[in-house]
Amino acid sequence: MTRNTSRCLAALWGAALVFTLGCSSMKTPATADVAVSKEAVDNAAGAGAVQYAPVEMNSAREKLALANKAMASKDYKLAVDLSGQAQADAKLAQSKANSAKAQAAADALQDDIRVMRQELDRASK
Amino acid sequence: MNKILLTPVILAIATLFGACSTTPTTTSLLEQTRIDYRAAQSNPGVASYAPLEMKQAGEALEQANAAANQHDSTEKVDKLAYLAKQKIAQTQEVAKQKSAEAQVASSAKVRDQMRLDQRTNEADQAKSSAEQSKLAAQAAQVDASAAKRQAQEAQDQAAEAQRRTQEAQAHAAQLETQLADLAAKQTPRGVVITLGDVLFGTDLARLNSQGMRSAQKLANVLQGNPRRTVLVEGFTDSTGSSAHNQELSERRAGAVQTALLELGVSRERIAVHGYGESYPVAANDTAQARQLNRRVEIVLSDEGGRIAPR
Repeated sequence: MTRNTSRCLAALWGAALVFTLGCSSMKTPATADVAVSKEAVDNAAGAGAVQYAPVEMNSAREKLALANKAMASKDYKLAVDLSGQAQADAKLAQSKANSAKAQAAADALQDDIRVMRQELDRASK
Repeated sequence: MNKILLTPVILAIATLFGACSTTPTTTSLLEQTRIDYRAAQSNPGVASYAPLEMKQAGEALEQANAAANQHDSTEKVDKLAYLAKQKIAQTQEVAKQKSAEAQVASSAKVRDQMRLDQRTNEADQAKSSAEQSKLAAQAAQVDASAAKRQAQEAQDQAAEAQRRTQEAQAHAAQLETQLADLAAKQTPRGVVITLGDVLFGTDLARLNSQGMRSAQKLANVLQGNPRRTVLVEGFTDSTGSSAHNQELSERRAGAVQTALLELGVSRERIAVHGYGESYPVAANDTAQARQLNRRVEIVLSDEGGRIAPR
């Protein structure tokens, strides 16, 4: 009987542990995902994505807001999905901003070169 | 009984058929994502500039494909396909960015080279314009010295002219003094010196010693004014025949000419004319008046040697 009782207790402890782990493993990744997404959105905004990739940026922000809402309503699975999408959108937005800026720099240089070539041509005439 | 047995069998068969006939779950988003992926694969820039991003995008697409193959729900497939699609787009952007950056780097080199060329050009131009300026400066210097020389010459000429003017003035003053000494009169014909009868012996055509002194003074004047000439005019009173008087007037004038010739005045500067009893300066009624009419007038020409005719 005592043996049975202790076995029962051990089983209960185990169940409790599994339950706790399950809960925590459901909650922690979602929080981390949302945090990572938020950082990605902030980074994109810092890189000028609002100006260069407004569509992706809006999408990222909306999804981040929805993810936060899902967190509040404890729908962690939805929160993970949404924050993953928000992160993908934000990263694309940032890449677009970076490539647009690099292209602008390249164009400006090309312009410089064109002007200088004209000046040189004129000077050598 | 049979019916009860048959129903599950038919169901099982139907299920089996259904499972066999279902190709992997696919969605339009997944299809689009696959197209995007192939486009990225055929972009050479992606291979060289964004291999890591391409690998991650490929993995994301694999997950979506796996979900499709496992007949997962369209929601799940779409979710994974969306992530893959965004990653593929990101890969393209990263490739664009890197390619633009590479372009910037190479353009910067070109630009620096051109800037160098430009500087060289400018330096060359500056040099040549400096040389031109130098030449211009030298030319200007030459001009300036020429101008200076001209100015000096002009100054010299002015000084010379002034000196000449002063000389001429001095000369004129001297002439005036000498003429005053000869009791010369300024008339419309010029300066006229009258040698009166007292300077000749009566009815004689020779100058006495006083007359000779006057002649000497006149000779001095002529020597001092080499361009002036004289006209020696003889006159008499109305006593005696006019032929005699004509001859006497000519002789007296000739006497003055002779005296001047003796004093070194050249012949061509002395014109002589006798007028006899013509052109009296006084009535011939008294002895004193007649003496005034017996005279020789010497008309001094201007600087050009001209004498107005009587």
